[in-house]
Amino acid sequence: MIPTYDELVSWLPELLSGLSISLQVTALSLALGIPCGLVLALGVLAKGKGTRILALFLVEVGRGAPALVLLQFIYFGLPGTGLTLGSFSAAVIALAWNTGAYTSEIIRASLQSIAHGQREAAVSIGLNRFDELRYVLLPQGLRVALPALLGFSILIFQGTSLCFTIALPELVSRAYEIGSTTFRYFPALLAAGVLYACISIPASLLVSHVEKRAGSHAQR
Amino acid sequence: MTAVQNAGPLIRLAALSKHYGTHLVLDQIDLEVVKGEVLAIIGPSGSGKSTLLRCINYLEVPDGGLITVGPTTIDATRAASRSELSGLRRRVGMVFQSFNLFPHMTVLRNVSLAQERVLGRTRRDADERSMQLLKRVGLADKAGQYPVRCSGGQQQRIAIARSLALDPEVMLFDEPTSALDPELGLEVLAVMRELAESGMTMIVVTHEMGFAENVSDTVMIMADGKIVEKGPSAQVMRNPQQERTKRFLRAVHDR
Repeated sequence: MIPTYDELVSWLPELLSGLSISLQVTALSLALGIPCGLVLALGVLAKGKGTRILALFLVEVGRGAPALVLLQFIYFGLPGTGLTLGSFSAAVIALAWNTGAYTSEIIRASLQSIAHGQREAAVSIGLNRFDELRYVLLPQGLRVALPALLGFSILIFQGTSLCFTIALPELVSRAYEIGSTTFRYFPALLAAGVLYACISIPASLLVSHVEKRAGSHAQR
Repeated sequence: MTAVQNAGPLIRLAALSKHYGTHLVLDQIDLEVVKGEVLAIIGPSGSGKSTLLRCINYLEVPDGGLITVGPTTIDATRAASRSELSGLRRRVGMVFQSFNLFPHMTVLRNVSLAQERVLGRTRRDADERSMQLLKRVGLADKAGQYPVRCSGGQQQRIAIARSLALDPEVMLFDEPTSALDPELGLEVLAVMRELAESGMTMIVVTHEMGFAENVSDTVMIMADGKIVEKGPSAQVMRNPQQERTKRFLRAVHDR
């Protein structure tokens, strides 16, 4: 059941290159998705009705549809409309949408948690709406949001395993491939699992560390 | 302390009214404040004092009436434009009961921010002006600290410096000492007294009867959204004419 040393040595290059693709998809999805989340959060909080409805639509679809469905839709569904994407691009777009939708709610809640007096102070010293956001609300709101955003990032990293279904050669795909050629499915998947854990567990520890420090600017 | 009577009012409110649902908070308020005047607004809770103050810089949007500050007049029955509001807020400084300093910025940044973003000063000029103001409120040594490291009284003095940094023509104070213990309140009152003596036009909602009597030029009593009585401070505080005023002052003095 447990991979032998020789197996590990021969599988490792394959698995590590899969891990590297998983990490790339994660990083790009977050880099695109979190800014989208910020824009969507501001859209949901906007005064204009049209903006609000569009933002709510994107958020609700992104949160309502399972990531697997988004992936399949973008990779297999979109070509029907004439738009064909590689599995890597499709994976990034689907997970970025998912990220944007979820993080928009995290960011919206954080912004709304900032005391009302902060807005009033910003308004009364004459800051316009943009400066109020940039200098007063976002720096405080993002500090509140940071632990939740990092926690969500770990979920997205694990979520990249779904890309196995659209033939992206990420970690799970590689393990599965090894399994299909050697019939050692379980040891190969076990090795992949250990690699996920090697990233996720330290990341979780980092999140709880950040969580303890977040908001400590209040005691600096 | 001595109001310049011939300059015409700096602030004029005409028939200002405000409802929360069916509850009438401000009932056709008419009020004039001349340049250099210090007006104290006193009265029971829920009488509309704070709402009136917050309407002057449009933190609350009134339902009707006219608000004039300097050359800007805003008609509350129609939506105010962004430029009207920014013009109004540049002339009006506001100090809150709960200070509302920005906790993620140093004391110096708190005071400098609006100078850079609103007045377009360079950071150097802004910081220089901020240091003068912090010195004026006695807190130059706190410039590099974060607000949480300061006592309530110090935070409120910083908030006063932050408002003064925009060179406002009038300062509004919304119960500036109500969140402070008596000793800390005293240091804030000392700064306000100095400000009044320097000729700043001030409207102060307060429960500090000493300030109303000794520092302000004019005292106004509000109850149920109306002005009950208004006059020179010594007269209103020592020899009130209205029964409602007498009742309120008696309650204050009996404590």
